[in-house]
Amino acid sequence: MNLKQKKIVGTAAVICLLLGIAPVSNAMHIMEGYLPGKFCIFWGIICIPFLIAGFFSIRKKLNNNRRTLTLLAMAGAFVFVISSLKIPSVSGSCSHMTGTGLGAILFGPSAVSILGIIVLLFQAILLAHGGLTTLGANTFSMAVAGPFLSFGIFMLCKKCRLNRKVSVFLAACLGDLFTYCITAFQLALAYPSESGGIAASAVKFLGVFAPTQVPLAVIEGLITLLIIMALEAYAKPELKSLGFIKEENN
Amino acid sequence: MLLIDKLCYYSKLRYVNPGEKFLFTVIAIVFCIISRSVITAVFVLAINTILTVGIGRISGRRYRNMMLVPLIFLLISTLAIIVNLSRTPFDAFAIPVGGWYITGSISSVFFGIQLILTALAAVSSLYFLSLNTPMPDILTVLRRLHCPILLSELMMLIYRYIFVLLEIAVNILTAQKARLGNKDYRTSLKSFSAMISVLFIRAMQKSNALYDAMESRCYDGRILVLSEASGPKKKHLAGILLFGGVLLILTIAKKQGMIL
Repeated sequence: MNLKQKKIVGTAAVICLLLGIAPVSNAMHIMEGYLPGKFCIFWGIICIPFLIAGFFSIRKKLNNNRRTLTLLAMAGAFVFVISSLKIPSVSGSCSHMTGTGLGAILFGPSAVSILGIIVLLFQAILLAHGGLTTLGANTFSMAVAGPFLSFGIFMLCKKCRLNRKVSVFLAACLGDLFTYCITAFQLALAYPSESGGIAASAVKFLGVFAPTQVPLAVIEGLITLLIIMALEAYAKPELKSLGFIKEENN
Repeated sequence: MLLIDKLCYYSKLRYVNPGEKFLFTVIAIVFCIISRSVITAVFVLAINTILTVGIGRISGRRYRNMMLVPLIFLLISTLAIIVNLSRTPFDAFAIPVGGWYITGSISSVFFGIQLILTALAAVSSLYFLSLNTPMPDILTVLRRLHCPILLSELMMLIYRYIFVLLEIAVNILTAQKARLGNKDYRTSLKSFSAMISVLFIRAMQKSNALYDAMESRCYDGRILVLSEASGPKKKHLAGILLFGGVLLILTIAKKQGMIL
Protein backbone atom coordinates (compact mmCIF):
# COMPACT_ATOMS: atom_id res chain seq x y z
CA MET A 1 0.00 0.00 0.00
CA ASN A 2 1.28 3.46 -0.78
CA LEU A 3 0.77 6.40 1.52
CA LYS A 4 -2.42 7.60 -0.15
CA GLN A 5 -4.03 4.18 0.07
CA LYS A 6 -3.06 3.93 3.72
CA LYS A 7 -4.62 7.32 4.39
CA ILE A 8 -7.85 6.26 2.69
CA VAL A 9 -8.03 3.02 4.66
CA GLY A 10 -7.27 4.88 7.89
CA THR A 11 -9.96 7.49 7.31
CA ALA A 12 -12.49 4.84 6.35
CA ALA A 13 -11.69 2.91 9.52
CA VAL A 14 -12.15 6.00 11.68
CA ILE A 15 -15.46 6.86 10.03
CA CYS A 16 -16.71 3.29 10.43
CA LEU A 17 -15.73 3.33 14.09
CA LEU A 18 -17.43 6.67 14.66
CA LEU A 19 -20.68 5.73 12.96
CA GLY A 20 -20.82 2.05 13.68
CA ILE A 21 -19.65 1.65 17.24
CA ALA A 22 -23.08 1.44 18.82
CA PRO A 23 -25.59 -0.56 16.81
CA VAL A 24 -28.50 0.76 18.82
CA SER A 25 -28.50 4.32 19.97
CA ASN A 26 -32.00 5.58 20.49
CA ALA A 27 -31.12 9.17 21.21
CA MET A 28 -30.01 8.45 24.75
CA HIS A 29 -33.09 7.47 26.69
CA ILE A 30 -32.06 6.68 30.26
CA MET A 31 -33.12 3.08 30.89
CA GLU A 32 -35.74 2.01 33.40
CA GLY A 33 -34.19 1.42 36.81
CA TYR A 34 -30.94 3.20 36.02
CA LEU A 35 -31.45 6.31 38.17
CA PRO A 36 -31.64 6.29 41.99
CA GLY A 37 -35.07 7.02 43.46
CA LYS A 38 -34.43 10.57 44.62
CA PHE A 39 -33.18 11.63 41.17
CA CYS A 40 -36.28 10.15 39.51
CA ILE A 41 -38.43 12.32 41.80
CA PHE A 42 -36.16 15.37 41.46
CA TRP A 43 -36.29 15.43 37.63
CA GLY A 44 -40.00 14.69 37.69
CA ILE A 45 -40.63 17.73 39.89
CA ILE A 46 -38.49 19.97 37.66
CA CYS A 47 -40.64 19.00 34.66
CA ILE A 48 -43.95 19.81 36.35
CA PRO A 49 -44.01 23.60 35.72
CA PHE A 50 -43.23 23.07 32.03
CA LEU A 51 -45.91 20.42 31.74
CA ILE A 52 -48.51 22.60 33.47
CA ALA A 53 -47.63 25.50 31.18
CA GLY A 54 -47.94 23.18 28.19
CA PHE A 55 -51.25 21.80 29.46
CA PHE A 56 -52.77 25.27 29.84
CA SER A 57 -51.48 26.43 26.47
CA ILE A 58 -53.02 23.38 24.82
CA ARG A 59 -56.31 23.90 26.65
CA LYS A 60 -56.44 27.54 25.60
CA LYS A 61 -55.83 26.59 21.99
CA LEU A 62 -58.57 23.95 22.25
CA ASN A 63 -61.06 26.42 23.69
CA ASN A 64 -60.41 28.72 20.76
CA ASN A 65 -60.69 25.97 18.19
CA ARG A 66 -61.65 22.38 19.01
CA ARG A 67 -60.18 21.23 15.72
CA THR A 68 -56.73 21.65 17.27
CA LEU A 69 -57.23 18.41 19.25
CA THR A 70 -56.87 16.12 16.26
CA LEU A 71 -54.04 18.26 14.93
CA LEU A 72 -52.14 17.86 18.22
CA ALA A 73 -52.83 14.13 18.27
CA MET A 74 -51.46 13.86 14.74
CA ALA A 75 -48.42 15.89 15.77
CA GLY A 76 -47.79 13.50 18.67
CA ALA A 77 -48.16 10.42 16.48
CA PHE A 78 -45.91 12.08 13.90
CA VAL A 79 -43.14 12.71 16.44
CA PHE A 80 -43.44 9.11 17.69
CA VAL A 81 -43.27 7.67 14.19
CA ILE A 82 -40.25 9.69 13.03
CA SER A 83 -38.43 8.84 16.24
CA SER A 84 -39.14 5.12 15.84
CA LEU A 85 -38.00 4.83 12.20
CA LYS A 86 -34.41 3.95 11.47
CA ILE A 87 -32.57 6.82 9.82
CA PRO A 88 -30.12 5.99 7.04
CA SER A 89 -26.63 5.60 8.41
CA VAL A 90 -23.43 4.67 6.66
CA SER A 91 -22.58 1.47 8.48
CA GLY A 92 -26.07 -0.02 8.54
CA SER A 93 -26.28 0.46 12.29
CA CYS A 94 -29.63 1.44 13.66
CA SER A 95 -30.10 4.92 14.99
CA HIS A 96 -33.13 7.13 15.43
CA MET A 97 -33.73 10.84 15.39
CA THR A 98 -35.35 12.60 18.33
CA GLY A 99 -37.78 14.50 16.14
CA THR A 100 -38.41 16.97 18.92
CA GLY A 101 -36.42 19.71 17.15
CA LEU A 102 -38.67 19.44 14.12
CA GLY A 103 -41.70 19.29 16.41
CA ALA A 104 -40.65 22.42 18.29
CA ILE A 105 -40.06 24.37 15.07
CA LEU A 106 -43.42 23.33 13.62
CA PHE A 107 -45.72 23.21 16.64
CA GLY A 108 -44.00 25.38 19.30
CA PRO A 109 -42.08 24.22 22.39
CA SER A 110 -44.87 24.31 24.99
CA ALA A 111 -47.10 21.97 22.99
CA VAL A 112 -44.12 19.69 22.39
CA SER A 113 -43.51 19.33 26.14
CA ILE A 114 -46.93 17.71 26.64
CA LEU A 115 -46.72 15.71 23.41
CA GLY A 116 -43.18 14.75 24.40
CA ILE A 117 -44.15 13.17 27.71
CA ILE A 118 -46.91 11.18 25.99
CA VAL A 119 -44.53 10.07 23.24
CA LEU A 120 -41.90 9.09 25.82
CA LEU A 121 -44.48 7.06 27.74
CA PHE A 122 -45.44 5.25 24.54
CA GLN A 123 -41.78 4.70 23.68
CA ALA A 124 -41.21 3.19 27.12
CA ILE A 125 -44.20 0.86 26.85
CA LEU A 126 -44.20 0.00 23.14
CA LEU A 127 -40.47 0.08 22.33
CA ALA A 128 -38.78 -0.29 25.75
CA HIS A 129 -36.82 2.92 25.10
CA GLY A 130 -36.59 4.70 28.43
CA GLY A 131 -38.85 3.80 31.33
CA LEU A 132 -41.57 4.75 33.77
CA THR A 133 -39.38 5.86 36.68
CA THR A 134 -36.92 7.66 34.40
CA LEU A 135 -39.80 9.38 32.58
CA GLY A 136 -39.13 12.63 34.47
CA ALA A 137 -35.43 12.75 33.58
CA ASN A 138 -36.08 11.80 29.95
CA THR A 139 -38.91 14.32 29.66
CA PHE A 140 -36.65 17.07 30.93
CA SER A 141 -33.83 16.32 28.48
CA MET A 142 -35.90 15.43 25.41
CA ALA A 143 -39.23 17.17 25.73
CA VAL A 144 -38.26 20.33 27.64
CA ALA A 145 -34.57 21.26 27.28
CA GLY A 146 -34.01 20.16 23.66
CA PRO A 147 -37.18 21.64 22.13
CA PHE A 148 -36.91 24.92 24.07
CA LEU A 149 -33.30 25.38 22.94
CA SER A 150 -34.19 24.45 19.34
CA PHE A 151 -37.04 26.93 19.34
CA GLY A 152 -34.90 29.62 20.96
CA ILE A 153 -32.15 29.22 18.39
CA PHE A 154 -34.68 29.23 15.57
CA MET A 155 -36.24 32.47 16.84
CA LEU A 156 -32.85 34.06 17.46
CA CYS A 157 -31.71 33.25 13.93
CA LYS A 158 -34.96 34.68 12.59
CA LYS A 159 -34.33 37.93 14.47
CA CYS A 160 -30.78 38.11 13.14
CA ARG A 161 -32.25 37.64 9.64
CA LEU A 162 -30.09 34.61 9.12
CA ASN A 163 -30.78 32.30 6.17
CA ARG A 164 -33.71 30.04 7.13
CA LYS A 165 -31.88 26.91 5.97
CA VAL A 166 -28.95 27.65 8.27
CA SER A 167 -31.24 28.41 11.18
CA VAL A 168 -33.25 25.19 10.78
CA PHE A 169 -30.06 23.14 10.62
CA LEU A 170 -28.60 24.88 13.68
CA ALA A 171 -31.82 24.58 15.68
CA ALA A 172 -32.23 20.84 15.09
CA CYS A 173 -28.55 19.95 15.40
CA LEU A 174 -27.85 22.00 18.54
CA GLY A 175 -31.14 20.94 20.13
CA ASP A 176 -30.09 17.31 19.68
CA LEU A 177 -26.60 18.00 21.06
CA PHE A 178 -28.09 19.84 24.02
CA THR A 179 -30.36 16.87 24.79
CA TYR A 180 -27.32 14.62 24.82
CA CYS A 181 -25.36 16.99 27.10
CA ILE A 182 -28.28 17.21 29.53
CA THR A 183 -28.58 13.41 29.65
CA ALA A 184 -24.85 13.06 30.33
CA PHE A 185 -25.18 15.67 33.06
CA GLN A 186 -28.16 13.84 34.59
CA LEU A 187 -26.17 10.59 34.68
CA ALA A 188 -23.14 12.37 36.13
CA LEU A 189 -25.20 14.02 38.84
CA ALA A 190 -26.54 10.62 39.88
CA TYR A 191 -23.18 8.85 39.62
CA PRO A 192 -20.27 11.18 40.51
CA SER A 193 -16.81 9.84 39.74
CA GLU A 194 -14.59 8.36 42.46
CA SER A 195 -11.79 10.68 41.42
CA GLY A 196 -12.95 14.18 40.52
CA GLY A 197 -16.65 14.15 41.41
CA ILE A 198 -19.52 15.28 39.20
CA ALA A 199 -17.46 17.27 36.69
CA ALA A 200 -15.12 14.37 35.91
CA SER A 201 -18.07 12.03 35.66
CA ALA A 202 -19.85 14.39 33.24
CA VAL A 203 -16.78 14.44 31.01
CA LYS A 204 -16.70 10.64 31.04
CA PHE A 205 -20.38 10.28 30.12
CA LEU A 206 -20.04 12.93 27.40
CA GLY A 207 -17.00 11.03 26.13
CA VAL A 208 -18.53 7.56 25.89
CA PHE A 209 -21.67 8.77 24.14
CA ALA A 210 -19.96 11.30 21.84
CA PRO A 211 -19.02 8.81 19.06
CA THR A 212 -22.68 7.97 18.49
CA GLN A 213 -24.40 11.20 19.41
CA VAL A 214 -22.32 13.82 17.61
CA PRO A 215 -22.67 12.33 14.10
CA LEU A 216 -26.32 11.66 14.91
CA ALA A 217 -26.90 15.33 15.75
CA VAL A 218 -25.39 16.39 12.42
CA ILE A 219 -27.52 13.85 10.54
CA GLU A 220 -30.62 14.99 12.43
CA GLY A 221 -29.86 18.59 11.48
CA LEU A 222 -29.44 17.63 7.82
CA ILE A 223 -32.62 15.56 7.70
CA THR A 224 -34.67 18.26 9.46
CA LEU A 225 -33.35 20.80 6.95
CA LEU A 226 -34.30 18.59 3.99
CA ILE A 227 -37.76 17.99 5.49
CA ILE A 228 -38.42 21.71 5.99
CA MET A 229 -37.24 22.43 2.44
CA ALA A 230 -39.58 19.78 1.05
CA LEU A 231 -42.45 21.09 3.17
CA GLU A 232 -41.89 24.64 1.95
CA ALA A 233 -42.08 23.36 -1.60
CA TYR A 234 -45.14 21.10 -1.26
CA ALA A 235 -47.06 22.00 1.87
CA LYS A 236 -47.43 25.79 1.93
CA PRO A 237 -51.12 25.76 3.00
CA GLU A 238 -50.47 23.34 5.89
CA LEU A 239 -47.48 25.36 7.09
CA LYS A 240 -49.54 28.54 6.89
CA SER A 241 -52.27 27.03 9.04
CA LEU A 242 -49.63 26.30 11.68
CA GLY A 243 -48.32 29.87 11.41
CA PHE A 244 -44.90 28.68 10.26
CA ILE A 245 -44.66 30.83 7.12
CA LYS A 246 -46.72 33.87 7.97
CA GLU A 247 -44.31 36.71 7.35
CA GLU A 248 -43.14 35.32 4.01
CA ASN A 249 -46.24 36.74 2.33
CA ASN A 250 -46.24 40.34 3.48
CA MET B 1 -43.71 -2.63 13.09
CA LEU B 2 -44.38 -2.50 16.81
CA LEU B 3 -43.65 -6.02 17.98
CA ILE B 4 -44.56 -5.47 21.63
CA ASP B 5 -47.99 -4.15 20.70
CA LYS B 6 -48.69 -7.23 18.57
CA LEU B 7 -47.44 -9.70 21.16
CA CYS B 8 -49.49 -8.34 24.04
CA TYR B 9 -52.75 -9.25 22.27
CA TYR B 10 -51.63 -12.91 22.18
CA SER B 11 -50.66 -13.01 25.85
CA LYS B 12 -52.57 -15.46 28.04
CA LEU B 13 -52.55 -12.79 30.75
CA ARG B 14 -54.25 -10.27 28.49
CA TYR B 15 -57.66 -10.45 30.19
CA VAL B 16 -56.31 -10.21 33.73
CA ASN B 17 -57.41 -6.96 35.36
CA PRO B 18 -55.02 -4.22 34.11
CA GLY B 19 -55.04 -2.46 37.48
CA GLU B 20 -53.52 -5.58 39.07
CA LYS B 21 -50.78 -5.78 36.44
CA PHE B 22 -50.04 -2.08 36.81
CA LEU B 23 -49.82 -2.39 40.60
CA PHE B 24 -47.51 -5.41 40.31
CA THR B 25 -45.19 -3.55 37.92
CA VAL B 26 -45.03 -0.44 40.08
CA ILE B 27 -44.26 -2.47 43.23
CA ALA B 28 -41.53 -4.44 41.45
CA ILE B 29 -39.81 -1.38 39.96
CA VAL B 30 -39.99 0.74 43.12
CA PHE B 31 -38.52 -1.99 45.34
CA CYS B 32 -35.80 -2.76 42.76
CA ILE B 33 -34.68 0.86 42.77
CA ILE B 34 -34.93 1.40 46.52
CA SER B 35 -33.12 -1.79 47.54
CA ARG B 36 -30.67 -1.97 44.60
CA SER B 37 -29.57 -5.42 45.66
CA VAL B 38 -28.40 -8.35 43.56
CA ILE B 39 -30.75 -10.79 45.30
CA THR B 40 -33.85 -8.60 44.83
CA ALA B 41 -32.97 -8.05 41.17
CA VAL B 42 -32.52 -11.77 40.48
CA PHE B 43 -35.76 -12.56 42.34
CA VAL B 44 -37.77 -9.97 40.36
CA LEU B 45 -36.14 -11.07 37.09
CA ALA B 46 -37.06 -14.71 37.78
CA ILE B 47 -40.68 -13.93 38.73
CA ASN B 48 -41.15 -11.72 35.66
CA THR B 49 -39.70 -14.34 33.34
CA ILE B 50 -41.98 -17.02 34.83
CA LEU B 51 -45.02 -14.76 34.47
CA THR B 52 -44.30 -13.47 30.97
CA VAL B 53 -42.78 -16.56 29.32
CA GLY B 54 -44.23 -19.34 31.48
CA ILE B 55 -47.80 -18.15 32.05
CA GLY B 56 -48.20 -15.36 29.48
CA ARG B 57 -46.76 -17.68 26.78
CA ILE B 58 -44.56 -15.08 25.07
CA SER B 59 -41.82 -16.93 23.14
CA GLY B 60 -38.65 -17.30 25.23
CA ARG B 61 -36.35 -16.50 22.31
CA ARG B 62 -38.22 -13.24 21.65
CA TYR B 63 -38.13 -12.35 25.33
CA ARG B 64 -34.36 -12.89 25.46
CA ASN B 65 -33.79 -10.75 22.36
CA MET B 66 -35.92 -8.00 23.86
CA MET B 67 -33.98 -8.07 27.11
CA LEU B 68 -30.84 -7.44 25.05
CA VAL B 69 -32.24 -4.13 23.70
CA PRO B 70 -31.26 -2.03 26.74
CA LEU B 71 -27.96 -3.86 27.25
CA ILE B 72 -25.91 -1.54 25.03
CA PHE B 73 -26.98 1.57 26.90
CA LEU B 74 -26.29 -0.23 30.18
CA LEU B 75 -22.82 -1.42 29.16
CA ILE B 76 -21.68 1.94 27.75
CA SER B 77 -22.89 4.06 30.65
CA THR B 78 -21.72 1.61 33.30
CA LEU B 79 -18.31 1.64 31.63
CA ALA B 80 -18.25 5.40 32.26
CA ILE B 81 -19.03 4.78 35.94
CA ILE B 82 -16.42 2.05 36.49
CA VAL B 83 -13.48 3.43 34.50
CA ASN B 84 -11.58 6.35 35.99
CA LEU B 85 -8.58 8.44 34.97
CA SER B 86 -6.42 9.01 38.01
CA ARG B 87 -2.85 9.73 39.18
CA THR B 88 -3.00 6.84 41.62
CA PRO B 89 -4.06 3.29 40.67
CA PHE B 90 -7.18 1.77 42.33
CA ASP B 91 -7.46 -1.82 43.53
CA ALA B 92 -9.46 -3.65 40.79
CA PHE B 93 -7.44 -2.91 37.65
CA ALA B 94 -5.03 -0.23 36.44
CA ILE B 95 -3.53 0.40 33.00
CA PRO B 96 -0.71 2.96 33.06
CA VAL B 97 -0.89 5.67 30.34
CA GLY B 98 1.95 8.16 30.61
CA GLY B 99 1.87 9.54 34.14
CA TRP B 100 -1.81 8.58 34.61
CA TYR B 101 -3.76 5.38 35.16
CA ILE B 102 -6.94 4.10 33.53
CA THR B 103 -8.23 2.45 36.63
CA GLY B 104 -11.19 1.31 38.71
CA SER B 105 -11.88 0.11 42.23
CA ILE B 106 -13.40 -3.22 43.27
CA SER B 107 -16.28 -1.45 45.00
CA SER B 108 -17.15 0.45 41.83
CA VAL B 109 -17.04 -2.72 39.71
CA PHE B 110 -19.41 -4.37 42.20
CA PHE B 111 -21.57 -1.24 42.15
CA GLY B 112 -21.68 -1.44 38.34
CA ILE B 113 -22.82 -5.07 38.39
CA GLN B 114 -25.48 -4.20 40.96
CA LEU B 115 -26.66 -1.31 38.79
CA ILE B 116 -26.89 -3.41 35.62
CA LEU B 117 -28.84 -6.16 37.38
CA THR B 118 -31.22 -3.65 38.99
CA ALA B 119 -31.85 -1.97 35.65
CA LEU B 120 -32.43 -5.33 33.90
CA ALA B 121 -34.89 -6.35 36.61
CA ALA B 122 -36.72 -3.03 36.29
CA VAL B 123 -36.80 -3.39 32.49
CA SER B 124 -38.21 -6.90 32.83
CA SER B 125 -40.98 -5.49 35.03
CA LEU B 126 -41.75 -2.90 32.38
CA TYR B 127 -41.85 -5.70 29.80
CA PHE B 128 -44.23 -7.63 32.04
CA LEU B 129 -46.65 -4.71 31.84
CA SER B 130 -46.24 -4.00 28.14
CA LEU B 131 -46.12 -7.60 26.89
CA ASN B 132 -49.28 -8.59 28.75
CA THR B 133 -51.41 -5.45 28.69
CA PRO B 134 -52.80 -3.81 25.53
CA MET B 135 -52.38 -0.04 25.47
CA PRO B 136 -56.14 0.82 25.72
CA ASP B 137 -56.22 -1.10 29.04
CA ILE B 138 -53.22 0.88 30.35
CA LEU B 139 -55.01 4.08 29.35
CA THR B 140 -58.08 2.90 31.29
CA VAL B 141 -55.89 2.53 34.38
CA LEU B 142 -54.49 6.04 33.86
CA ARG B 143 -58.04 7.38 33.60
CA ARG B 144 -58.94 5.66 36.89
CA LEU B 145 -55.89 7.34 38.46
CA HIS B 146 -57.49 10.72 37.60
CA CYS B 147 -55.27 11.63 34.69
CA PRO B 148 -56.89 14.77 33.12
CA ILE B 149 -59.46 13.87 30.44
CA LEU B 150 -57.71 16.08 27.90
CA LEU B 151 -54.51 14.06 28.31
CA SER B 152 -56.10 10.63 28.19
CA GLU B 153 -58.07 11.71 25.13
CA LEU B 154 -54.90 12.91 23.42
CA MET B 155 -53.15 9.65 24.31
CA MET B 156 -55.98 7.57 22.89
CA LEU B 157 -55.90 9.48 19.60
CA ILE B 158 -52.10 9.46 19.41
CA TYR B 159 -52.04 5.71 20.02
CA ARG B 160 -54.54 5.12 17.23
CA TYR B 161 -52.73 7.40 14.81
CA ILE B 162 -49.29 5.95 15.41
CA PHE B 163 -50.42 2.90 13.46
CA VAL B 164 -52.04 4.85 10.67
CA LEU B 165 -48.91 6.94 10.14
CA LEU B 166 -46.58 3.93 10.52
CA GLU B 167 -48.49 2.11 7.80
CA ILE B 168 -48.16 5.06 5.43
CA ALA B 169 -44.46 5.37 6.29
CA VAL B 170 -43.75 1.67 5.73
CA ASN B 171 -45.57 1.70 2.39
CA ILE B 172 -43.59 4.71 1.22
CA LEU B 173 -40.32 3.14 2.38
CA THR B 174 -41.11 -0.04 0.45
CA ALA B 175 -41.93 1.95 -2.68
CA GLN B 176 -38.67 3.87 -2.32
CA LYS B 177 -36.67 0.67 -1.92
CA ALA B 178 -38.28 -0.81 -5.03
CA ARG B 179 -37.15 2.25 -7.01
CA LEU B 180 -33.52 2.22 -5.77
CA GLY B 181 -34.23 5.04 -3.34
CA ASN B 182 -31.37 3.87 -1.13
CA LYS B 183 -28.72 3.29 -3.80
CA ASP B 184 -26.20 5.49 -2.00
CA TYR B 185 -26.05 7.49 1.19
CA ARG B 186 -26.96 10.81 -0.43
CA THR B 187 -30.03 9.37 -2.09
CA SER B 188 -31.15 7.59 1.05
CA LEU B 189 -30.98 10.79 3.11
CA LYS B 190 -33.00 12.49 0.39
CA SER B 191 -35.60 9.71 0.23
CA PHE B 192 -35.91 9.58 4.00
CA SER B 193 -36.66 13.27 4.28
CA ALA B 194 -39.02 13.14 1.30
CA MET B 195 -40.87 10.33 3.07
CA ILE B 196 -41.13 12.35 6.30
CA SER B 197 -42.45 15.42 4.52
CA VAL B 198 -45.10 13.42 2.66
CA LEU B 199 -45.97 11.79 5.97
CA PHE B 200 -46.43 15.24 7.51
CA ILE B 201 -48.75 16.38 4.70
CA ARG B 202 -50.81 13.20 4.98
CA ALA B 203 -50.99 13.59 8.76
CA MET B 204 -52.33 17.13 8.44
CA GLN B 205 -54.96 16.06 5.91
CA LYS B 206 -55.99 13.07 8.01
CA SER B 207 -56.33 15.19 11.14
CA ASN B 208 -58.92 17.39 9.41
CA ALA B 209 -60.80 14.37 8.09
CA LEU B 210 -60.68 12.75 11.52
CA TYR B 211 -62.21 15.76 13.22
CA ASP B 212 -65.03 15.94 10.66
CA ALA B 213 -65.70 12.24 11.12
CA MET B 214 -65.76 12.51 14.90
CA GLU B 215 -67.97 15.59 14.92
CA SER B 216 -70.50 13.98 12.59
CA ARG B 217 -70.73 11.19 15.18
CA CYS B 218 -71.51 13.63 18.02
CA TYR B 219 -68.02 13.90 19.53
CA ASP B 220 -68.22 15.97 22.71
CA GLY B 221 -64.70 15.72 24.09
CA ARG B 222 -64.81 12.10 25.30
CA ILE B 223 -64.15 8.85 23.50
CA LEU B 224 -65.62 5.95 25.44
CA VAL B 225 -64.01 2.56 24.97
CA LEU B 226 -65.42 -0.75 26.19
CA SER B 227 -62.96 -2.41 28.53
CA GLU B 228 -62.70 -6.17 27.94
CA ALA B 229 -60.68 -6.98 31.06
CA SER B 230 -62.23 -8.70 34.06
CA GLY B 231 -62.45 -7.29 37.58
CA PRO B 232 -59.74 -7.82 40.20
CA LYS B 233 -59.51 -11.35 41.68
CA LYS B 234 -58.78 -12.10 45.33
CA LYS B 235 -56.25 -14.78 44.36
CA HIS B 236 -54.24 -12.32 42.26
CA LEU B 237 -54.37 -9.61 44.91
CA ALA B 238 -53.08 -12.07 47.51
CA GLY B 239 -50.25 -13.02 45.14
CA ILE B 240 -49.29 -9.36 44.64
CA LEU B 241 -49.43 -8.80 48.41
CA LEU B 242 -47.13 -11.79 48.97
CA PHE B 243 -44.76 -10.55 46.25
CA GLY B 244 -44.68 -7.07 47.82
CA GLY B 245 -44.06 -8.60 51.26
CA VAL B 246 -41.09 -10.66 50.06
CA LEU B 247 -39.63 -7.59 48.34
CA LEU B 248 -40.11 -5.53 51.51
CA ILE B 249 -38.25 -8.14 53.58
CA LEU B 250 -35.45 -8.32 50.98
CA THR B 251 -35.16 -4.52 50.95
CA ILE B 252 -34.95 -4.32 54.75
CA ALA B 253 -32.37 -7.12 54.78
CA LYS B 254 -30.30 -5.28 52.19
CA LYS B 255 -30.48 -2.00 54.13
CA GLN B 256 -29.32 -3.87 57.26
CA GLY B 257 -26.41 -5.23 55.22
CA MET B 258 -27.49 -8.86 55.56
CA ILE B 259 -27.62 -9.68 51.81
CA LEU B 260 -25.81 -8.44 48.72
